Amino acid sequence: MSLLELKNIYKIYGDLHALDNVNLKVEKGEWLSIMGPSGSGKSTMMNIIGCMDKPSKGEVLLDGVDIAKESSKNLTAIRRDKIGLIFQQFHLVGYLTAIENVMLAQYYHSVPDEKEALEALDRVGLADRAKHLPSQLSGGEQQRVCVARALINYPEIILADEPTGNLDDANEKIVVDLFHKLHNEGTTLIVVTHDPEVAEVAQRTVYLRNGKLHKETINENFTGEIKFVSEVEL
Amino acid sequence: MFFRMIFGTLFRQWKKMLMIAFTIALGASLATAMLSVMLDVGDKVNQELKTYGANITVVPKENSVLSSLYEVEGEGGTGAFLREDELGKIKTIFWAFNIIDYAPFINASVTLDDGTKASAVGTWFNHHMELPTGEQLDAGVKSMRSWWEVIDGKWLDEQTGGENGAMVGKALAEKLGIKSGDTLHLNGTVSELTLDVVGVFDAGGEEDDKIFMPIDTAQSLDGLDGKIDSIEVSALTTPENDLAIKAAKDPKSLTIAQYETWYCTAYASSICYQIQEVITDSVAAPVRQVADSEGAILEKTQLLMTLITILSLVGAALGICNLVTASVMERSAEIGLMKAIGAQNSSVSGLVLTEIMVTAIFGGTAGFFAGWGFAQIIGHSVFGSAIAMRPVVIPLVAVLVVIVTLAGCIPAIRMLLRLSPCEVLHGR
Repeated sequence: MSLLELKNIYKIYGDLHALDNVNLKVEKGEWLSIMGPSGSGKSTMMNIIGCMDKPSKGEVLLDGVDIAKESSKNLTAIRRDKIGLIFQQFHLVGYLTAIENVMLAQYYHSVPDEKEALEALDRVGLADRAKHLPSQLSGGEQQRVCVARALINYPEIILADEPTGNLDDANEKIVVDLFHKLHNEGTTLIVVTHDPEVAEVAQRTVYLRNGKLHKETINENFTGEIKFVSEVEL
Repeated sequence: MFFRMIFGTLFRQWKKMLMIAFTIALGASLATAMLSVMLDVGDKVNQELKTYGANITVVPKENSVLSSLYEVEGEGGTGAFLREDELGKIKTIFWAFNIIDYAPFINASVTLDDGTKASAVGTWFNHHMELPTGEQLDAGVKSMRSWWEVIDGKWLDEQTGGENGAMVGKALAEKLGIKSGDTLHLNGTVSELTLDVVGVFDAGGEEDDKIFMPIDTAQSLDGLDGKIDSIEVSALTTPENDLAIKAAKDPKSLTIAQYETWYCTAYASSICYQIQEVITDSVAAPVRQVADSEGAILEKTQLLMTLITILSLVGAALGICNLVTASVMERSAEIGLMKAIGAQNSSVSGLVLTEIMVTAIFGGTAGFFAGWGFAQIIGHSVFGSAIAMRPVVIPLVAVLVVIVTLAGCIPAIRMLLRLSPCEVLHGR
């Protein structure tokens, strides 16, 4: 059984079909990229996978449970327990330090543990910046805090929306390297991006256009070197 | 973590929180001032109204029956009297502390040397009493008839020996051509006396035709030692309500609980009832016009205060509503993030409400003390005395601040509950 399966997903706003009969499977431990131009439905798809929105039609099976039928309260609980979110705008709480921002996710999940939060920051190379406020961190550092916050509760899926969209090349590389590390540790990664370089380092990339999945590429030689082996029209 | 977030918000948004605290302080100060004045205004207005005379009269039961039957205001005439030796008991009733003044009266008919007949009234002027409770009281017409204007001479002073003195009403003094320092030779039914005219007064009524003298003096003229016709009592009373009206008609018609409530409340009727209990064969009745005026003035004043309190609290609630809503809007990304990483609506609402309530505690406390100050300003400028701080004001203001703050937060909380993380995090 796949970790995540989207079956005949539609998201309709009036006459607009933001998602139009999307079918997708994500296996446990897989690194998937979702690519597409603006307005293609990437963020809508991320919101549905991230339990922040519900499809108009279709099934979203996470661990075999159809989350499309869950209440808003249950979706919050699922999001808290199973999904780690990374945003393009970082969305750190400005008046909390880096470690407190990580502990915030622990607080809403279970119990804040400063030691564990510090270890998470250490994993992203920011242990020495733990007591700094977001305003005292660079964009790349803020995104790494965001990554630490996403992985602190050991989620089944890390869902990243344009994680390198606001970063320079050096910081982009650091974040992508972190994703490699997480993937090697067995974490399932779904990265929504419009950046081909970020998308192509994933094991698999699906392409959205006008709300439909129209192409899928698989990086069969997944070693860090980007090499397209096969391309399938969907 | 929770408190770190609270303090983080309070310090980060200190300007907005200061505005919210200021709004709450404004509402709380007005509520405190108005409640303090409202609760104390009864006594203050009563004290003001006490300068207009007695509000309870006590007469012998027989005279009262005749007055009721024939609907006349009698001044004795039946041969029934009250006992002078029981006067001190009035200050021993349950509501003794509410009896602020009283004076006995005895009427005597006298004839002057030229054959002119005149009415003489024996009373207390500034009678000094040492009560069994240890309290001391100077009671009499000098304080109860504060509107009398002494146009010649001075007030008769009982405490420096005034037993041979008298005060004469303006009309009678003009008729007889007498002034202070003159003497009056009075012939009573059993004795005759020569009294010094200490002062001439203008009462603006029928008392201007009378001669007022110490009670013992008047009693000796007609041989009525130890007897009095009536007592006028000035008491602080609570405005009458349905219970008091029912009790005034017949106290026996009350249930035990109603009776205890009525007896232990300073209604004019319950004070009258208690005076009747200690003065033999007496009927005590409120002077309706005075009692009703007191009640009406009090009710209107309290209504005005209540309206001002309500309006100030509504204003505060609207202010809080605007500020908290603006705060939530400003923090929508932060709140959306909290929801995105697993915060339930209850957690986020609890956080925002705690922040506002902490602010309300500071604002409410500051407002309470400011309001207490306003109350003193009102007390000194309107009544010329301080407003007593009633302990009940503290919990009342606390409850009002909580209610107003929560009411002011309702629109913000509704907005917060509807906030969708995907909308705010993706800017939709």
